Amino acid sequence: MMTWDSWKKSFDVWENETAKFLETWVKSPLVLGPSGMMLTQAMKAKAQYDKALAQFWGSVGLPTKRDQERTLHLLNKLESRLLDLEEQLEEQQKA
Amino acid sequence: MMLRVPQCNMPEQAFSRIKNLLGLAARKRPEVGVTPADVVHRENKWSLLHYRRATPARYKTPILFVPSLINRHYVMDLVPGKSMAEWLLAQGHDVYCIDWGTPGDEDRYLSFDSICDKYLGRALRIAAKSSPRGQAHVLGYCLGGTLAVIHAAAHQEKIASMALLAAPVSFKDEGPLAAWTQSPDFDPEAITRAWGNAPWPLLQSAFHMLRPTLNLAKAMHLVDRAWNDEFLDGFLAVETWGNDNVSFPGAAFVRYIEDLYRKDALVNGDMTLSGKPAKLESIACPLLAVTFEHDNIVPWRSAALVVDRVASTDKTHVKLPGGHVGAVVSKSASKGLWPMLSKFFVDHEARGVKTRGARSANVARR
Repeated sequence: MMTWDSWKKSFDVWENETAKFLETWVKSPLVLGPSGMMLTQAMKAKAQYDKALAQFWGSVGLPTKRDQERTLHLLNKLESRLLDLEEQLEEQQKA
Repeated sequence: MMLRVPQCNMPEQAFSRIKNLLGLAARKRPEVGVTPADVVHRENKWSLLHYRRATPARYKTPILFVPSLINRHYVMDLVPGKSMAEWLLAQGHDVYCIDWGTPGDEDRYLSFDSICDKYLGRALRIAAKSSPRGQAHVLGYCLGGTLAVIHAAAHQEKIASMALLAAPVSFKDEGPLAAWTQSPDFDPEAITRAWGNAPWPLLQSAFHMLRPTLNLAKAMHLVDRAWNDEFLDGFLAVETWGNDNVSFPGAAFVRYIEDLYRKDALVNGDMTLSGKPAKLESIACPLLAVTFEHDNIVPWRSAALVVDRVASTDKTHVKLPGGHVGAVVSKSASKGLWPMLSKFFVDHEARGVKTRGARSANVARR
């Protein structure tokens, strides 16, 4: 019969050793190469799909998601510039 | 083989353990980040929080907390009793915190410079405004610490002193994150072209892969201490925070990987911020770098290197036992880490940059 404490100790030893072993594996070029390539290919496939969808929307004269993102980003940049100007004005008023 | 029920000192503990484990799914999650705070600035998705004080602050130089971009800010204010913000307020500090918010799809274009220079700079200026010295102390955690270092390397006029908690500076380490990001088969731009921002589930699974057995170990620890309600609430609070991740703005992510991980630009002296050189050697403010011995996310050497490189004459490296998160939010942090941070900020309250050389210490757990 095994007590909880000894079970826990053995688990800790196992966990530590397994973690070390797995770390060597996940850092190994044998794993990194194929998994990196698979990830990149999956990402490229998604980007291609999105591009095809955007082309369709564009062809019927509608703004694409990317168009909207670009516009919103420009608005955010504009907000930041206005805040910069406000800060500068405040500084000048103080001086 | 038979397994005896986990040892308990008292039958009540055994009963509590079973009751708590059975009711775990239905257990009320502790409320996180509840210390009252006012939003003093909002811009794009980020906001600046100013924690409310019942009495005027004893120390006039405020502390600005800079959290990581991919985790929520409330790690600093986890739950009452385990909140660094609450504790620092009680010591008489005035505390501000950046909440980076959740990036929207349009933030795929948000640059590293916008975050690290424009947003962080503005937060610092707002916090520093309330100080008679026109400066604030900076407390950066993890990637937030890296952002603080890069910002300080380009502009440090508003920084009274800087404390860094597990903030990676050197990215050429032996850890798995460095190996993955430096692998030629890993293409960060492919990720952002596909998703816009680097999606948080992808980042979270990468962190899980750092120690794939961690969830099992956590489960074991949970069973072991499930009788303790205080432990259970703390455990659930940390898990709530750990699973509440945010995506990394796309353009900023690509630059982060390319410049910091692949080129190690900060250490090599090639880092720039909005076109301005950001060299570690330019940092002259008092510096405290805290690293954690069992940190498997940020290896301690990667975070300690900053002390060797900055020009500050008042600089200290402290290596504490513990891991990346536990050492910052655990009960022992309120007896070791937090008082140390408070003392560092108090010591540098009246500037008077001390001229002691670099020190390094291993502080044993108390």
